[in-house]
Amino acid sequence: MLKPTKMTRVIIAGTKSLMEPTIATFHRLNVLHITDYLEEGADFKIGKPLKPASKLSEYLLSLRAISNQLGLREKESLLKQSSKELPSQIDEKITKLQKEVSSRFDELRNLEFKIKEKEDLASAVKPFFGLPLPLEAYMGYETVKVYTGYIDADLELGLSKITKNYELFTGEYEKRKIFALFIPTAFEAEAQKLLQDERSYVELKVPQLKGNPPVILDELTKEINILKEKHASIKSELDNIKKEYSDFVIAADEYLSIETQKAEVPLRFATSPNAFIIDGWVPSRNYDEIEKELQESTGGLVYLTRVEEEVKEEDIPIELENPTLAKPFELLINTFATPKYREIDPASVLFITFPLFYAIMLGDVGYGIIVAAMAVLIKNKFKTGGLNALALILFLSSILSIIFGFIYGEFFGFPIFNVGIYRTGEIKHGILGIAVPAIAGIHIPVHRFESVQSLLLLTLVIGIIHILLGLVIGFRNQVIEHGLKHAIFAKGSWMMILIGGVMAIAKLMPAVMSKLPVPTSDPVFAVGGGLAIIGLVLLIMGEGFISILEIPTLLSNVLSYSRILAIGLSSAGIALAVNTLSMNLFIKPDGVLMGKGVVLALVGVVILFIGHLINLLLGILGPGLHSLRLQYVEFFTKFYEGGGKKYVPFGYNRKYTEE
Amino acid sequence: MVADAGMIAIGAGIAVGLAGIGAGMGEQAIGAAAVGAMAEDEKFFGKGLLMTVIPESIAIFGLVVALILLFVFNA
Repeated sequence: MLKPTKMTRVIIAGTKSLMEPTIATFHRLNVLHITDYLEEGADFKIGKPLKPASKLSEYLLSLRAISNQLGLREKESLLKQSSKELPSQIDEKITKLQKEVSSRFDELRNLEFKIKEKEDLASAVKPFFGLPLPLEAYMGYETVKVYTGYIDADLELGLSKITKNYELFTGEYEKRKIFALFIPTAFEAEAQKLLQDERSYVELKVPQLKGNPPVILDELTKEINILKEKHASIKSELDNIKKEYSDFVIAADEYLSIETQKAEVPLRFATSPNAFIIDGWVPSRNYDEIEKELQESTGGLVYLTRVEEEVKEEDIPIELENPTLAKPFELLINTFATPKYREIDPASVLFITFPLFYAIMLGDVGYGIIVAAMAVLIKNKFKTGGLNALALILFLSSILSIIFGFIYGEFFGFPIFNVGIYRTGEIKHGILGIAVPAIAGIHIPVHRFESVQSLLLLTLVIGIIHILLGLVIGFRNQVIEHGLKHAIFAKGSWMMILIGGVMAIAKLMPAVMSKLPVPTSDPVFAVGGGLAIIGLVLLIMGEGFISILEIPTLLSNVLSYSRILAIGLSSAGIALAVNTLSMNLFIKPDGVLMGKGVVLALVGVVILFIGHLINLLLGILGPGLHSLRLQYVEFFTKFYEGGGKKYVPFGYNRKYTEE
Repeated sequence: MVADAGMIAIGAGIAVGLAGIGAGMGEQAIGAAAVGAMAEDEKFFGKGLLMTVIPESIAIFGLVVALILLFVFNA
């Protein structure tokens, strides 16, 4: 918690004959983060892949092609195949599959192409149903030019001006006029011009076929059906192959990926003609285990040692370490930047503040329940990865939202409990129809629209605490990295300015508002002002005069937290507007259920539904993004640098195969 | 006092509205650039978001002014 996993740098050296068992051991343990060997020297060179590497990647390539052609996707749960039996099957099965699948796949493509061709032809023949000629009548003339197409206008008049020596056939196809014009080639130019001047003219190409259009179409349809049957039968053959071999293909893919990974890893080692050296990192807690396992698998002939030498902080791989509940929040950390080795990992702080801010903003029992249900759905659909983490974050946030919903007394914007309206003194009745007694001096529900001022103050207090926490963590990071003096200049000064400033302003504001003189004699004001000035002096000493420009940023940082209230108010406001609109206008006008008829009441229900749906979507996005922003912009900037390298152990998480 | 309350409400509305427009104008250019940077390298997400929301404090200032108008001067 709060700190990345402790890492130990290790060097592994041995003779080349022991390279393979060493690789196998480390791959199985899945803990070694290998540092790539890059600088080739006179004695050591970058290693060469193991012998089977090229053969393995060839298999992998053909296998991926086959799985593509079969349209295979990964499955959730499968029979695990033993990796002892797989290798003996791979060569035979892949060759067989390649032959069977790719020939069928090619034929399938070929058939699809042919079907498309025939279908195009059929749709080209159809318009000629409208004309009384067989298709061969349109072509093969030497002295006659034939025009065919759609046209809306009457051609006779125009044609009669050119020549009397022509023949025109007209008809209709799907309510569009179609024509065929036969005219001597001598008049080609004029006829062309006549047609082109007519806007509704669309040329039709005559397909190169013989016979009457209906007969041709009949034949084409028959051919297409035969092709389609063939297509379907090959497709079902492929499907059978897919069903039979999918387990094998998926398992073999994993097996080959693992073997390729192992075979290619020497590319990251330093090797001499007879020896190899691996440089890398392991979590310190795993060191003893590695030592033991390596001893067993290589008979103690491979040398393993810790390296205590100082290294650049950026070169140490980072594995974040947090309790299960805070684990999902590492996603938010990594999205921003991976922390450096000596930095604080703030995931467990986010575990508290992110859902808290989210809940204060959303704060509605109804919305909270729906968001929680959605989170559970997403979590069940995606068992691992980013979406799973996101669902967990959302779930925690929504549970807290429900709690805040009770505090605010809101259920889809309707009041849950009776609440007195402060301005008019009337009492609004809630869904439950009961009032809640004051708990510890706070009247529940805290109606958001009625207590804007106190809530605003609360958000600013939250902001000050949050920023102060950021500065404290920043102070700690600075002490570790640059020493106490630097930390006081860089972070201590800001803490003093923040605390002192808040104390002074807290006393100054009321005085200015009620037009009293500045309360110089007030001890709180004096101490606060003094503290702020000391902080300012320290800041200038540490960072120079230019740092004064940063002070307004601190103010805007604190004020920024008022968004917690603002987002909440807008969400509650939209809900209230939707409810009022649908209730007063449609569903229960003047307190009578369906007082304006069933139709308008239904309109009201639709408005109610859509309005709350939109507000719900906004209610997930808005609080989520703004809560995140407060973490990233206001909180992280006080201490977080990031720039660490992620810990990627050499190994594989097997899903479909067993050792 | 009714007219005054109305004027105060209008003033508060203008404060929030203009501040919002200003923040939006600032954010559009930065946002576009941030998305561009992210398209090249996803690691820019954190920094990009940070830069994008800097002008947003202006909108918050508008909101604070509006709240002060409504609750301090209206009282």
